[in-house]
Amino acid sequence: MSAHWQQQREGGSRASINFMVNTALRCGRAFMLCCMYPIALYYFLRRAAERRASRDYLTRLFGRPASAWQVLRHIHCFSVTMLDRIYLLAHGEQGFEIEVSGLEQLQQCIAQGRGVLLVGSHQGSFEVLRALSARCPEVPLRVLLDKQKTPAITELLEALAPEVGEAVIDVSQGGTAVTLAVAETCKAGGMVALLADRGRAHESLRRVPFLGEAAPFPIGPWLLASTLQVPVVLCFGMYRGGRRYALSFELFAERVEIARDSRHEMLDQVLHRYAQRLEHYARLEPYNWFNFYDFWQQDEAATMAPPHPRTVPEA
Amino acid sequence: MPTQTAAEHELATLIVEALNLEGIDPAQIDPQAALFGGELGLDSIDALEIALAVSKRYGMQLRSDHPDNQRIFSSLHALSAHIEQERTA
Repeated sequence: MSAHWQQQREGGSRASINFMVNTALRCGRAFMLCCMYPIALYYFLRRAAERRASRDYLTRLFGRPASAWQVLRHIHCFSVTMLDRIYLLAHGEQGFEIEVSGLEQLQQCIAQGRGVLLVGSHQGSFEVLRALSARCPEVPLRVLLDKQKTPAITELLEALAPEVGEAVIDVSQGGTAVTLAVAETCKAGGMVALLADRGRAHESLRRVPFLGEAAPFPIGPWLLASTLQVPVVLCFGMYRGGRRYALSFELFAERVEIARDSRHEMLDQVLHRYAQRLEHYARLEPYNWFNFYDFWQQDEAATMAPPHPRTVPEA
Repeated sequence: MPTQTAAEHELATLIVEALNLEGIDPAQIDPQAALFGGELGLDSIDALEIALAVSKRYGMQLRSDHPDNQRIFSSLHALSAHIEQERTA
């Protein structure tokens, strides 16, 4: 059960994703929402690993064994947010009700002119953030993404909104160019968004409690924040059913300080706080958790420790 | 002992200070050796720290979109040569 999420295959071939995008744009959301039930059922039946991961997560969250119905609902929620990415990219926030909270905190951070690091997770939809950032084009938003992870989806979605594709900092290129690009965006007073819940293979991870058990989280995002000395704002775009999304911003730290001499303690404190916020949002919207792999990596817990080179996080 | 030019030695000292590399003598860094992933074990976040320190000390930016980045950051020698070149340009 230890398959790393990076080895998981993309859910669909290029042709089938292409078909989905075209059909979605032609037939409209109402029709497509009806199709999401059989599609979710199909994935529920075909993807044993994802099914198991969902049941494991829901069982931890609810504190009792999750039912097949709940797992199906979980996969359905994911399918709808994937579908909505198409509409959000093609038509922006039009057709959706996006409730925003914490915007003043974000605006105060932006006003300082030092740049902002927006840290999210694989909960809900980050696409809502991108759609909303179209409202204020004067503040550039760049998103750290691994374009190699889902090449077919990335390519097709970028075709819908080329400017969104250009704003991506491709983590798969690796190395210096990525961190320098983040610093340059911040220096220009812009925002850089990344997701900090998944550790990539060979990335340095530390375990902190999440839903009652220690789970590995990447330390890269926080070292980056500490080096840049910019405000960190957490950002979650949760799907609330129907046409509704709730986009929340909350100030996490004016600056993250990770001193060399007490690095581990400080990292653990930061990771612990971050994991607690994820837990908060998981309890708020249980079916918005989109890490369909063994998040706790139990079998690797025993063997973790040798320091891997730190790499940059991705969104 | 590896031979460093004066500029390379100054840069090596800056790197050791910026990254707080304890127990490493700047003079012992081989100018031709790999800076990243090699013996020093530096990574991309260290690269950012170096870039910030270089910009502070020399008043020049190491750009993310420079086509030769891989070469520029390959060794102390290459990085130092690039900085010297940019400063006199």
